[in-house]
Amino acid sequence: MAVYKRTYTTYAGPLTPPRTRFLVLPRYCYERLFQSRFLTGFLVACFFFPLGCAGYIYLVNNLSVFTSMGVPAPEFLKIDSSFFRFLMNFQGAMAYILTALIGPSLIAPDLANNALPTYFSRPFSRTEYVIGKVSVLFILLSIITWVPGVLLFILQVSQAGGDWLSNNWFILRAVVLGQVAWILLLSLLSVALSAWVKWKVVAGALILGVFGIGAGLAGIINSILRTDYGAMIDLSRIMYTIWSDQLNIETSTGLEPFEAWLSFIAVCVICLLMLERKIRPKEIVR
Amino acid sequence: MTGFALWQRQILTIVSLEWKKTLFAKRGLWVYALAFLPALLFGINAIRVQNQRDAQMEIQRAAPNAAAVTAAIQTGMSVDDVTRKLVDDKVPFTKFKRRKKFEFVRYSDGTNTWELMFVEGKLTEKRNRDEARLSDSIRAFAGAFQYFFLRLAVFFGCVGIFMNLFRGEMLDQSLHHYLLAPVKREVLMVGKYLAGLVATIAIFCTSAALQFALMLGAHSSREVNEYLAGEGWAHLVSYLGVTALGCVGYGSIFLAAGIIMKNPLIPATGILFWEGMNWFLPTMLKQLSIIYYLQALCPVVAPLSGDIPEPLKLLATTAAPIAAPIAVMGVFAAAGMVLTFASIYVRKLEINYGAD
Amino acid sequence: MATNEEIVFDNVSRFYGEVLGVNRVNLSIPPGITSLVGPNGSGKTTLMNLMTGLVRATRGSISVRGIRPDESEKLFRILGYCTQFDSFPRGYTGFQFVHASLMLQGWDAKVAEAKAWQAIEKVNLVEPAKRKVAAYSKGMRQRIRLAQAIAHQPQVLILDEPLNGLDPLVRSETIALFREQAERGAHVIVSSHVLHEVDMISDQVILLANGYVVAEGAIRGVREEISDRPHQIVIRCDKPSEMASKIFQFDHVVEARIHPDFQGILVKTTNSSQFHKLLNRLVMEGINIETIAPADDGVNSLYEYLIGDEGAQK
Ligand SMILES: Nc1ncnc2c1ncn2[C@@H]1O[C@H](COP(=O)(O)OP(=O)(O)OP(=O)(O)O)[C@@H](O)[C@H]1O
Ligand SMILES: [Mg+2]
Repeated sequence: MAVYKRTYTTYAGPLTPPRTRFLVLPRYCYERLFQSRFLTGFLVACFFFPLGCAGYIYLVNNLSVFTSMGVPAPEFLKIDSSFFRFLMNFQGAMAYILTALIGPSLIAPDLANNALPTYFSRPFSRTEYVIGKVSVLFILLSIITWVPGVLLFILQVSQAGGDWLSNNWFILRAVVLGQVAWILLLSLLSVALSAWVKWKVVAGALILGVFGIGAGLAGIINSILRTDYGAMIDLSRIMYTIWSDQLNIETSTGLEPFEAWLSFIAVCVICLLMLERKIRPKEIVR
Repeated sequence: MTGFALWQRQILTIVSLEWKKTLFAKRGLWVYALAFLPALLFGINAIRVQNQRDAQMEIQRAAPNAAAVTAAIQTGMSVDDVTRKLVDDKVPFTKFKRRKKFEFVRYSDGTNTWELMFVEGKLTEKRNRDEARLSDSIRAFAGAFQYFFLRLAVFFGCVGIFMNLFRGEMLDQSLHHYLLAPVKREVLMVGKYLAGLVATIAIFCTSAALQFALMLGAHSSREVNEYLAGEGWAHLVSYLGVTALGCVGYGSIFLAAGIIMKNPLIPATGILFWEGMNWFLPTMLKQLSIIYYLQALCPVVAPLSGDIPEPLKLLATTAAPIAAPIAVMGVFAAAGMVLTFASIYVRKLEINYGAD
Repeated sequence: MATNEEIVFDNVSRFYGEVLGVNRVNLSIPPGITSLVGPNGSGKTTLMNLMTGLVRATRGSISVRGIRPDESEKLFRILGYCTQFDSFPRGYTGFQFVHASLMLQGWDAKVAEAKAWQAIEKVNLVEPAKRKVAAYSKGMRQRIRLAQAIAHQPQVLILDEPLNGLDPLVRSETIALFREQAERGAHVIVSSHVLHEVDMISDQVILLANGYVVAEGAIRGVREEISDRPHQIVIRCDKPSEMASKIFQFDHVVEARIHPDFQGILVKTTNSSQFHKLLNRLVMEGINIETIAPADDGVNSLYEYLIGDEGAQK
């Protein structure tokens, strides 16, 4: 009988700290994502509008051109909550497109290739997996939504001064809270949907369909049942209501802010439940 | 057996093999959900309206003065005045606030349901929200049919079912079984198309008929009989016909897309966008979409949905209405053309599993 | 040139984008059992898919008993193909699977049913035939696919690795089945990785490597041709001329050429195993050998892989 000397040892090198271990997923995801030139290009394009806005803010605050010519500055040239709502809408739409591009490839391929057991056979928990996957989108979307929003706000404050700030500080809250809510919804939704189907394309279709069909369904619920509550399943309208409320702008979306928040929380909870159901370290045999 | 008779038999075989697969597939459940959601809504509505009618009867009994109260309520009155009047005459009502400024009072006087809108405490508008009128229901049906059922439910149902016929079997790695049978590829395509049609038409026409029945279910038999004696049956037949035509048109497009494209999402989004833009296209281009013909065949034209901003509404072009036979022919011609085009590709189709 | 009894490949190439599937294949295969043998990725499946029109030739033309592969309506009346894909239409039972493909032949349901049972009996699956294919074992799935391929008694039977996953008993039964089909005058084309698995039953073999046909013919001929072919060996040593004179005394050494730098020698031999024994003796006799390397490693190791030891013994 041959007796072999045990020569193997376990890995004894440094480990990533447990708290930030989930960041491993975004790190590798970004490496793969940015290989696509189209995606990188799109991300760059997402900054054009905020840059334009920065120019605009500067211009509006330096209207000495008008006054020097003796013409009063036009009324519509001012930075207020409507301006920021427009910015949020635009960047929010960009975030949506980016989600539709990236979202489907988050979990569906892992399911299709039965990669979950591989993840969970490492010191890596289900929660960390989900947080990691969500943070892939969340970090990326932050960079194009509330971060430029806050920077523009700071620019405006620096240009317009403390007076403007004391009257409009709520805009800062609205930009951060509103956009974070939106991108949280987007990332959770796309991660949950992409965990629910194996095929990437179907996951993509679902992400698009949830918004389109949700809006359509909301419309017929309202028209058939003669109510306004149908809007509670129209995700884009929910968000619009929340933003408008935060920015103190009157709108007629048919929803109260309270109802919109309720729907928002419900959707998030449903997404989490879907993830809880699907992210299991078991092999799926057809 | 050769030629046409053989093809016929082969097509029959393919249809009988395929239709069950699409109709009873577990992964196709969402199609049912999509198709029958409007029917569910109409059902809920029927129950709701019945309840409301009962409540009105109750009010007629309990508050005989209610009609007089309605006459007495004038714009400009304050919330307190109005509610006091209602309370005095024992008319039940509900009051709720919207966005600080607005207040609403809703009540029924036994024949009509009213919604009173107060802005900053003053009554500004009296809205009759009578839900029991058949004409309103017919309009609601038309809207739901055109904006949800045709454009979303039938559309996505066809995306799911018809793309699955070829692309789905590719992904399942089972398409080669068909390609190894002594069946011309074109015959196979037609067989699969017909199988898809059987399934989609069965699902969506059933749903449309059910919606129609439930929509009528909300109303008194007298009203319903009057409607059916008039144009009711013709409406139902047109709705069913339009649904079936929608399946014919969209089915052909997505069958072709499933054969030609690797990623079916791209054509689906593209076509959804194109069909959605249809209102705003010049007539020439309108004719290149399926929804144009379907719209023309709908018996009750629903107005452009209220959500669209005013400036865009102005852009909407109204094309001269086209005659029904031409519209029907248009859809069939489009489907025929698309299928002919797809047949070029299906002849070149290769089994290349896994490389996608 | 194409008689209607043969399967003819005329200068056929197939590329998958940049990847070579098969290249410049010229073959004409007579009826009987023909084996396609080659390592993984050598192009066996590609060749079979080309014959059946599942993939199309990039260049060249193919005729299967006078029928082009894209004439599916005619071709699959006389051809049955058992693919390497181990997947089935959803939810079918074994019987339904065979029956459905017979129905597509255009036969009556009754006739098709009778023929389906006949084929199922042939592969010994009568009892499980009523169960769902999804619940079959690997060998059962292999056999039900075989049943489907032979159900319409085709003139050409193409089987991609048909013996995979079969136990020895079933294997010999299956081989008997091939024989039976060949005796009717049908083409039976079988693919395999291992030559000695099929050489006993084959009337001829076609050896494939890297997308090329490297040998074809009756099994004996192929074998002799390969073992007769001289092996080339490069030896680096200190006294090449002395060594050359010594080894030239042996019959199996065909050629010995001294390397221009006088540090090595290239030997051609028809019997490499004897030559290696000889080398051992030379080392004993005081020649210092640094390295020994086969000069045509790729081809040699391929043949060794394909033919195994049996080839060397003959
Ligand atoms: N769909 C495809 N896309 C790209 N390359 C392919 C495809 N199918 C086959 N190939 C390539 O063609 C070559 C031949 O493959 P083929 O499947 O014919 O091999 P094989 O002899 O059947 O192998 P095995 O014994 O493993 O079944 C391989 O290099 C393979 O990578
Ligand atoms: Mg193979």
